Amino acid sequence: MKARKSFLVVMVILLIGLLAACGTTAPAEPAATEDTAPAEEAAPTEAPVVEEPSEPVTIEFFYPVAVDAPIAAIIEGYIDAFEVENPHITVEAVFSGGYGDVQTAIMTAIDGGAEPPAMGVMLATALYDLINADAISPVSPSDEYLADVFPAFLDNSRYDGKIWSVPFQRSAVVMYYNADLFEEAGIEPPDSWDSWAAAAQALTVREGAEVIRWGIEYPSGWPYWLFQPLAIGSGQNIVGESDTEVFFDDPDVIEAVQFYIDLSEEYGATPAGVQGIWGQAPTDLATGLTAMIVHSTGSLTGLLDQVDFELGVMPIPGQAAGTFASVPGGGNIYIMKGAPEEKQAAAWLFAEFLSEPERVADFSIQTGYIASLNSSYETDAMKAYLAEVPQAAETKNALQHAGAELMVQNLGEVRNIFHDYLQRAYNGEMTPEEAMAAAQAEAEAALEIFK
Amino acid sequence: MLLSKDGHQRRWNTKKIFSTLITWTIALLWAVPVFWALVASFRPASEPMGRGDVWFGTMLTLDNYIKAWSLAPFDLYFLNTVIIVSMILGVQLITITLAGFAFAHYDFRGRKILLFIILLQLMIPTTALLVPNFSTIRFLNLYDTRLAIAIPYFGSAFGAFLMRQAFLEVPHDLVDAGTIDGASWWQLLRHIYLPPTIPVLVAFGISSVAWHWNEFLWPLIITKSDAARPLTAGLVRFTQLGEIGAQWSLLSAATLLVAAPLFIAFLVFQRRFIESFVHSGLK
Amino acid sequence: MQRSQTRKSSLPYLLILPTLFFVAIFTIWPTINSFYMSFFRQRLNLARFRDPTFVGIENFANLFSDPRFIQVLKNTIIYVLGTVPLAIFLAFLFAFLVNQRIRGVGLSRLSFFHPSILPMVSAATIWMFFLTPDYGIFNEALNFLGYRGPQNWTANPDLALISIMIVALWKNAGYYMIFYLAGMQNLPTEVFEAATLDGASTWQKLRYVTFPLLRGTTLFITTIAIIGAFQTVDQIFVLTQGGPSGASTTLLYYLWQVRFEFQDVGKASAITVVLIVLLLLFTVTNFVLSERGED
Repeated sequence: MKARKSFLVVMVILLIGLLAACGTTAPAEPAATEDTAPAEEAAPTEAPVVEEPSEPVTIEFFYPVAVDAPIAAIIEGYIDAFEVENPHITVEAVFSGGYGDVQTAIMTAIDGGAEPPAMGVMLATALYDLINADAISPVSPSDEYLADVFPAFLDNSRYDGKIWSVPFQRSAVVMYYNADLFEEAGIEPPDSWDSWAAAAQALTVREGAEVIRWGIEYPSGWPYWLFQPLAIGSGQNIVGESDTEVFFDDPDVIEAVQFYIDLSEEYGATPAGVQGIWGQAPTDLATGLTAMIVHSTGSLTGLLDQVDFELGVMPIPGQAAGTFASVPGGGNIYIMKGAPEEKQAAAWLFAEFLSEPERVADFSIQTGYIASLNSSYETDAMKAYLAEVPQAAETKNALQHAGAELMVQNLGEVRNIFHDYLQRAYNGEMTPEEAMAAAQAEAEAALEIFK
Repeated sequence: MLLSKDGHQRRWNTKKIFSTLITWTIALLWAVPVFWALVASFRPASEPMGRGDVWFGTMLTLDNYIKAWSLAPFDLYFLNTVIIVSMILGVQLITITLAGFAFAHYDFRGRKILLFIILLQLMIPTTALLVPNFSTIRFLNLYDTRLAIAIPYFGSAFGAFLMRQAFLEVPHDLVDAGTIDGASWWQLLRHIYLPPTIPVLVAFGISSVAWHWNEFLWPLIITKSDAARPLTAGLVRFTQLGEIGAQWSLLSAATLLVAAPLFIAFLVFQRRFIESFVHSGLK
Repeated sequence: MQRSQTRKSSLPYLLILPTLFFVAIFTIWPTINSFYMSFFRQRLNLARFRDPTFVGIENFANLFSDPRFIQVLKNTIIYVLGTVPLAIFLAFLFAFLVNQRIRGVGLSRLSFFHPSILPMVSAATIWMFFLTPDYGIFNEALNFLGYRGPQNWTANPDLALISIMIVALWKNAGYYMIFYLAGMQNLPTEVFEAATLDGASTWQKLRYVTFPLLRGTTLFITTIAIIGAFQTVDQIFVLTQGGPSGASTTLLYYLWQVRFEFQDVGKASAITVVLIVLLLLFTVTNFVLSERGED
């Protein structure tokens, strides 16, 4: 008994020693880089457009691959060209998963006390999260560039009178379809919900109970994004001007959810409930498992490689005849504040390099992502490409019909809430009304402290 | 007498055939996934799978392995995994042997409570503590290093307990003889305790290597660059490549690449592998 | 039991120190730290709350009034109670099968055991294909057997959790089998000879001799299986990402999500505390139940 007691004393002393060793940081986990006032502080750390430093510098470039295109190889090619022009800079491209994974990886690195990569490609809509976390530096593109870039793509870059990112791999939601099948069946490409559903129904092929070909596939993976064109086409986007307001329970939005469900329940033209994985839909279209898919413009080039039929591309039909809808998406380049200034400067040089009209055009040609600059469409390469692949022009045209992508404060959580309930409605666990009402209530609660 | 014995024999045989068939059937079913992956990994990428067409393509090709290898730095991931796994095992073998020896050989104040404290690690696995451990790694300035992946596992309650049990089985006479001869603790451990318990160390080593080779969540969190990333986290990144989509043959090749070294080692040492478990008293 | 009586020596403490040191830093301290931090609000994606503020039991109150968290708890318990007994049953069955004197035992052992040396992420990637609608092998097989239900295993709210359980069962049963096999091979043969002389059937021998004698093994396997079940999240990352609508989110996956996706340190610490308490509850209950069974 006595032995045990005295041992306990030893143990406690040992533990206290350990606690003291680790204890210095105990409560203040993130040891916020410096101070926490991004707005005032931003100016001095603003990525400076300096004259070339001669010191060799190595920067990391985190990027996602979200579409069927050899992004890694393309980026390596640009890096080689950049390093020839800027021999003192070495760029290490690090593939870090999907969009969410890149952001999680960078935030975790900052959080882990490591130096973040100097630059990263993250969702254009990640802006508020990144500013709140004091993770990024504003950038200063030239006036020429600002006049040239599509305004729709720069919407997600502005905050507090500054520009915080430049468009990189920008996309929009479009519908790809097997035009041969449409022609065989004598069906025109749809221009309203009714004609769309009818076409999907007509192109579905069954053998007994077994489906040989679906009319349309609407993959899971980015539920809110693929859904937004339906809501916009129905008359009400799920997000408005404010950064803390959402419109999940608007009657038009609920109608859009119902339309998705009807495609399966009423028309039997698409798999019931939440559907297959994102990456599989293009393959399914190419192999004839489905006649239409809703996907990202970024998959255009990959699809063109795979298909042996005439590939059609168009924006998403709206509810009213003759209306269409789409939503922009994809990633912008951000410069990370936690990187040393010379690295931020080098990163900005590389970002500008990637934003030159010819390179933007080339990236678009190689992937199917929409070139974000007007001048890119004036380049010879792009003109030749458009003459050869008229579908690429359609991806750009889809932008005319686009509403704003979901971007609010606390985006990770709000998006998660919306996905949850959208999928509950898709899967028939709740009615669209119930699901959207619940989503609205939870989202409002999650946004409350951000107002 | 003879007749009845014969009858018995025959019934026993039908039963034996029956249970053989059952065993084979289940074993066959259990092997289908890996067998499919193996077949699929040699299928040309240009022949996507479809209904009823998921096994062999028109030819066999190594292209998937070559492409997988070129799309991600699997060689670096291999190196990282090997370093991490050896680092963990090396330290663990020392810590568990010493702790097991102390608990088995000595009677000292607080023996029981110390053992209890260490055994807490069995009930609260390191994985569950990833949030505070992440802060600790940050504090130690180890984020994004191979050491960060390994260090939480340097002390193993399971191993220490296992070695204690194994050492307790070592015959008293041997130990007493050694003590009388005036052997130091190191000599006792080295010449009396360790030789008969090597199989236990081996079995533990196998468990440890298999566990940490396959670990995923902690390395995923604690690394940001390929320089420290092990195979498992690399594989998941690889499967997320948008361009891979539903290229099952390519995915199969990458999957098998990651598992191959452990798998081949297991195939080669299969008998000894299982025997060492059976005889280690790991139960 | 102990061999040496060196009460005054500091040597045993020194020998234990390395183990104790790492256990203290990576088990004891983080456990205490989680309890402490669970009483603070700290959100890394919001400047105002980036520094920890004491909020009492707010994190716990929020958690237990959140239907999402209740669902996560439910999923976790279904996962544990669903996989552990089944895995143990399969492990016992496999061990019995490959402990017979029949042809092909070596290959059968190999077949049962090989999934356990596969990384879970590899296993899950293979199963991702097996569970694919329309042409995945698992669906084709079920179709052949007359199953006509939904095929989108990883996206269906009723099937997503089951999918991740199937992968875990396939991977783990063979690992636990090894322990039973070790136990069976170390059993005294005389008992079985006696039972055979008494005319006991194979089933009776299993039920009344083998299984009771292997009680200790069962306890050990149950314990590691429970702890293992709480820890498995790898296949969720590959197969379902916790979806649809959180239907396959387990406690550890949710913990990762809250901490590293939503950047909510306080809530994540509270979840860690719940996880620790559940782990202790399950392992201790399991231990007590089997102790009582022995009397």
